[in-house]
Amino acid sequence: MIDGKILIIDDEVEFASTLCQRLALRGIDVRDAHSGTEGLEQIEEFTPDIVILDLKMPDMSGLDILSRIKQSRPDIGVIMLTGHGSVAAGIEAMEKGAFDYIMKPVDLGELLKKIEQAHEQRKKE
Amino acid sequence: MKQSRWISKLLPSTNEQIENSADLETSYRYFSKGLFIILLGVAMIPLIIISVLSHYQYQNLLQKNELTQLILNLEQSQNTIERFVSKLQSVIKFVAPDDRYQELLDPENLETLFSRLQREYPDFADIEVIDASGRQKSYIGPYELSNNDYTGQTWYQEVLQRGVYISNVFSGFRQVPHFVLAVSRNLPGDKGLWVLRVTIDGKTLQRYVETGAASFLSDVYLIDAEGVIQTQPRKYGHIGEKNIFASHAAATRYNISENLVDYQELLAKNTDVSVVKAPDGQELLHAAIDLQSTPWRLVLVKDLYLHGDDWLFFQLRLFGIILICVVLMVFVILNISNGITEHIRISDKRRQHFFVEAENANKLASIGRLAAGVAHEINNPLSIINQKTGLVMDYFSLTGDFEHKQDMQQALKGVQQSVDRCKAITHRLLGFARHTDVVIEELDMNLLLQEVVAFLAKEATYNQIDIVFELDESVEHIHSDRGQLQQVFLNIVNNAIDAIGSGGKIVLKTGMIQEKEIWIKVEDNGPGMSREVVRRIFDPFFTTKETGKGTGLGLSITYGILRKLGGRIAVDSEPGKGTAFEIILPIRNKLE
Repeated sequence: MIDGKILIIDDEVEFASTLCQRLALRGIDVRDAHSGTEGLEQIEEFTPDIVILDLKMPDMSGLDILSRIKQSRPDIGVIMLTGHGSVAAGIEAMEKGAFDYIMKPVDLGELLKKIEQAHEQRKKE
Repeated sequence: MKQSRWISKLLPSTNEQIENSADLETSYRYFSKGLFIILLGVAMIPLIIISVLSHYQYQNLLQKNELTQLILNLEQSQNTIERFVSKLQSVIKFVAPDDRYQELLDPENLETLFSRLQREYPDFADIEVIDASGRQKSYIGPYELSNNDYTGQTWYQEVLQRGVYISNVFSGFRQVPHFVLAVSRNLPGDKGLWVLRVTIDGKTLQRYVETGAASFLSDVYLIDAEGVIQTQPRKYGHIGEKNIFASHAAATRYNISENLVDYQELLAKNTDVSVVKAPDGQELLHAAIDLQSTPWRLVLVKDLYLHGDDWLFFQLRLFGIILICVVLMVFVILNISNGITEHIRISDKRRQHFFVEAENANKLASIGRLAAGVAHEINNPLSIINQKTGLVMDYFSLTGDFEHKQDMQQALKGVQQSVDRCKAITHRLLGFARHTDVVIEELDMNLLLQEVVAFLAKEATYNQIDIVFELDESVEHIHSDRGQLQQVFLNIVNNAIDAIGSGGKIVLKTGMIQEKEIWIKVEDNGPGMSREVVRRIFDPFFTTKETGKGTGLGLSITYGILRKLGGRIAVDSEPGKGTAFEIILPIRNKLE
């Protein structure tokens, strides 16, 4: 079972909240934020272990938030959410410190697997 | 590049869309003709100018040269004859000193003198002594002593006045031309003048005239003040006749005065140089000059150089060379202008081809971008539906059994499946636009085709379609992207199956093109396509399949992939006969 805290940052409210609910149903401590600014606030307040981060948001790009996280809290594992066809953007994010990326529409099983992998990675470090 | 205005006016205007290819052909022909004329003009005009100038120059040079020759010869001959005459005078004066009058009255003494003179000048015909009253006193010669009284005769008056007299040539005894030389001497004691008179055979004069004349002259002779001929001319006239050229000055382009500027001094001495016409119509150069202290004029006649064979040959040669040059020029320039036109025609065609290609690629790219945008936008709500369905399913699994639970779960599964189908569509749309990384590996095209067909074998069998391989086993392995090529052939074979419907045949063939490329042909015996369909077959979203069955993207994706892999595709179709796709792929990929 996953024991860490997870934050979902995505401007698509319906998507973020539904995903949040589904993870919560699986007994995970999870919150969602619906803009870049809110996401950064939640990182301070909620101190998540893993952040699921959308690549495209109106106020701030996912890559910007990623670099802020890597500055202030380098221990947080970041999984990027990308649309189809933005494999390159996902890879770029990984080069900048993201743990992995996953394409939308998200398959929950796949996501859970990646979250687990991120946890294991953190434990090793 | 900015072309100068006149050349661009000439060039065929392929930039404008000329629908009618006949118009374009006309404009190429016009260009070729224009180029030919311009080049020919550029080459010919200087040639003609130079030829005309050199012709004129050469003519001038020849004129000047022959005039100079003539003038020099005139002077030389004049000197020779004048010297001869003055020597004759000196001799006569020397043999008849003033005080020898009495001595010479004695015929014996005169005879001695005459024979002595004859030894020196065999052409002396007679000699006589005339006393102060004008009477013949002594005579040696073919006639008898006649005691003639010369007082009234003009020559006698002249010799008394001037001391010397030379007569015109006249036909004396035996019809032989002679002339007379007389000198007057003082009688001792101032008792008047006595005269010694000699008659000389005209042959002497003839000899001297001939001696001085150069070989290039066609005639040379003497005339008297009235123009009566004094020595026998070679061609033009006889002694005693009038000089035939005296009144025959011909109008001619011969530039005498200009060419004789250097000889002003000579011309001042009553010299006359002119072009005359012979009785046979030939133009001749005629020069005459007074001989000092004689009654004669020397006449030289010369055939005009420019009318001789030399000049004709020169003109023929010049004309011949120009003619050869012109023929060569026309030949070379015709080839050049045709060659350039052909070159332009080909490069225009190539440019038009590239233009069409670029337009195709451009269309694909912009439609691709549009498709990607649409797919991306749909992707977001799709993922929400996906999550919501998942959430509902989560709740169902947490909730106990209730009425219709299974039906609802079944329905949700249907929603999930539809989402997956949508996902596949957006995936394809995005893949169409996406610049995916090409993974190059060595692969066997024959094997790849067999693998692809294996996917579709079931469907083909079901539709009673035979798939036949005619593969060339010697086809080399190529370096390309396996996954993308699979997609290409899957598309094409799938299309063929769809086109045939049921009951037909698909033939797959492979082969090599000159060890650099391979070709693959997929032929079906389906219904074929009209020209309009063939023309639009690679356009995105163009489909002939029923609505909902095809996206219209298959062949445009195929087209894009093949371009990316450095290959190309062509289609040949005829309604009722079937369709053939030919794909050409490089053996070694540029992307490697």
